[in-house]
Amino acid sequence: MGVTVLQQYPVPENKTGTYVIELLTKRLLALGATQQGQFLVDCESFLSHPQMGATKTVHILHNSEQPASVFSILESGTKNIHVVADGLFDLFMMKLAQHYTSKKQTKIESKGPRFELGDFCVKLGSVMMNQTFKGILIEVEYRPCVMANAVWSLLREFLQGLLGASVPVSPPQHLLSRMHEIYTPVDTVHQYLEHFGQYRKVTGLRNA
Amino acid sequence: MSAANAAPITATDSLSQALKANIIPNQEYLLQGSVLDSAVEVLLHRLRGLCDNVDAGPETFDDQEVCFSLRDPNQQSAPLMLRVRKALDARDMPYQLRYIGQPDLGDKTRPTVVRSSLDIACNGMLIEFLNELGCRIEFEYSVKGYMFRKGRMKITVAKVFKISQSSAMPPEPISQSYLVELSVLAPQGQDAIAEDMRAFADQLRPLVQLDKIDYKRLGHMAVT
Amino acid sequence: MQREEKQLEVTLQAILNRVNDLKTAIQALIAKLENEYETINWPTFLDNYAILSGHLTGLSKILQAEMAPSLRALVVLPLQLGCERDEALSRLTEGRVPACTHDLVPDLLRTKPEPQAEQRLQQFNHKASTLSYDTAQKQVTQFTKVVSHVWEIISKGREDWEGDSMRAAGMQPTHTMTDTHALVTAVGTGKGLRPGMPALPPGVGAPGLGAPRGPAPQLGPAAPAMPKAPSAIKTNIKAANQIHPYQR
Repeated sequence: MGVTVLQQYPVPENKTGTYVIELLTKRLLALGATQQGQFLVDCESFLSHPQMGATKTVHILHNSEQPASVFSILESGTKNIHVVADGLFDLFMMKLAQHYTSKKQTKIESKGPRFELGDFCVKLGSVMMNQTFKGILIEVEYRPCVMANAVWSLLREFLQGLLGASVPVSPPQHLLSRMHEIYTPVDTVHQYLEHFGQYRKVTGLRNA
Repeated sequence: MSAANAAPITATDSLSQALKANIIPNQEYLLQGSVLDSAVEVLLHRLRGLCDNVDAGPETFDDQEVCFSLRDPNQQSAPLMLRVRKALDARDMPYQLRYIGQPDLGDKTRPTVVRSSLDIACNGMLIEFLNELGCRIEFEYSVKGYMFRKGRMKITVAKVFKISQSSAMPPEPISQSYLVELSVLAPQGQDAIAEDMRAFADQLRPLVQLDKIDYKRLGHMAVT
Repeated sequence: MQREEKQLEVTLQAILNRVNDLKTAIQALIAKLENEYETINWPTFLDNYAILSGHLTGLSKILQAEMAPSLRALVVLPLQLGCERDEALSRLTEGRVPACTHDLVPDLLRTKPEPQAEQRLQQFNHKASTLSYDTAQKQVTQFTKVVSHVWEIISKGREDWEGDSMRAAGMQPTHTMTDTHALVTAVGTGKGLRPGMPALPPGVGAPGLGAPRGPAPQLGPAAPAMPKAPSAIKTNIKAANQIHPYQR
């Protein structure tokens, strides 16, 4: 487990998502990467019952990189509180069905091929919400290091090289305050949630 | 695409598979009793002889448990009870979040109490999470004692303490006895284990009498 | 014929084993009594007795079982009695029977009660059979009365004894129902654990002090009070709306 940066990749006007994924795959393979399976990150959001006062949202995320964990982030006002639990947490959410109801139509996921290139791990994800293509999310992880500030410049250089100069690369919002702390899987999940939140707001996009 | 590169199964799918196969331990079989402080050594001695983890000696634990309730927004059913346990003697261990359903005592022929139960290991800011979720702290206590294993059975012998408001005061024990619990977590329908538990409980007699105890009925009796 | 002999041998062997078991058990008990009479405690002593009785039951089971009849048909005939010391016999019996004397043999080989005892038994049997029904009944009721009276005295004495002197004598009870209930209710419903409440006696003073934390979650009646709250809010809003146009 190292430091991970999540980056949106714009899909050109007249191209499809599949095309972009294939393009990036070719680039990665040319760099000497090997494909190591697929990955999947999904997110389901639950809203509190109106009778319970101010609306709160519980986001439940799964990451195939940590298959035995369930990540849960509670959004309440300005605070985001996370809990990492084992797989039974999903059952727990079912127990809360009276209090928190799932917004099924906003179920969102990012999935695609997973590559390894030396110390880097790259995942090319197509973001889908309700079978609708929403965009492309690229995850790059530098595995030997757990301090974001020590590895950020390296990650930026790698991303810039992979994505081309046209894509602006900036440190993820979530990481800004956590640059000097030990990076954990939940930080990756927070980044996914940030991006998923943005994608959910965007309406209508071309087909994959 | 090769098999190794197959898309990973979603968490929801694997969960529903596990549910269908009935492999999730969501039932707790339970017997409870107590032993006076003066006799606890004898009981521990006997348990050491009966249980599996003999050579390593009894495992000790020192936990703090906070009990939360979450009201039903529709006011139709009883509030949801949630318990959070934290090991005070192993602070880097995850929290244990427990949902415990209504105890079902059944008739006389049923050997143990059965209640639905979910045990979830959690890391992170769980207490804060539950507070924000809408849960209210009902009460808390600490338990300190010994744990034994016998096959799938878990036996705990523990002292229950009331947590004092000021940290300067030591926690005060709520009785002159140790609480003794014999429990098994199993998937639905594995009632055979309850018979085993009964047999085991009988071996502890007359030192301890492990029984099905309906604390709700006891609570009502005390109130009315 | 050979088969019968074999069976007989097996039976004898089994009996011999049992008898030997019994013997070692008795020896162990005697040894214990001789060597550990200062430290031995009552339960261990009773355990030894339990072992003895176990062996005895085993033995009598074999004797009663169908293996024994062939044994019953056999006759032991002492051919020669004498006062001379018989080394072989002495060794066989571990020094208990030094010689086959006139004194010992009748007792050792006896299969029926002594003639004197037999005679007295017969007398009693005769007396019992000639007793009239009414007298017998009377005696039985009398006896029952006496026994039940003694039973009462004993059980009362036992109650007292268990209550007081057992504690003093060090045979304390190891658990009490009250503590079990207190602990289980505390862990289950938080009785006596809620903040601001005295641990003992639990429940006292709860309504006043425990209220800020809310009623016990398991006590169902708490729920019906709730639906009123939202309705109260609604009326307030309505009232405000009514006031509003008035001010204009």
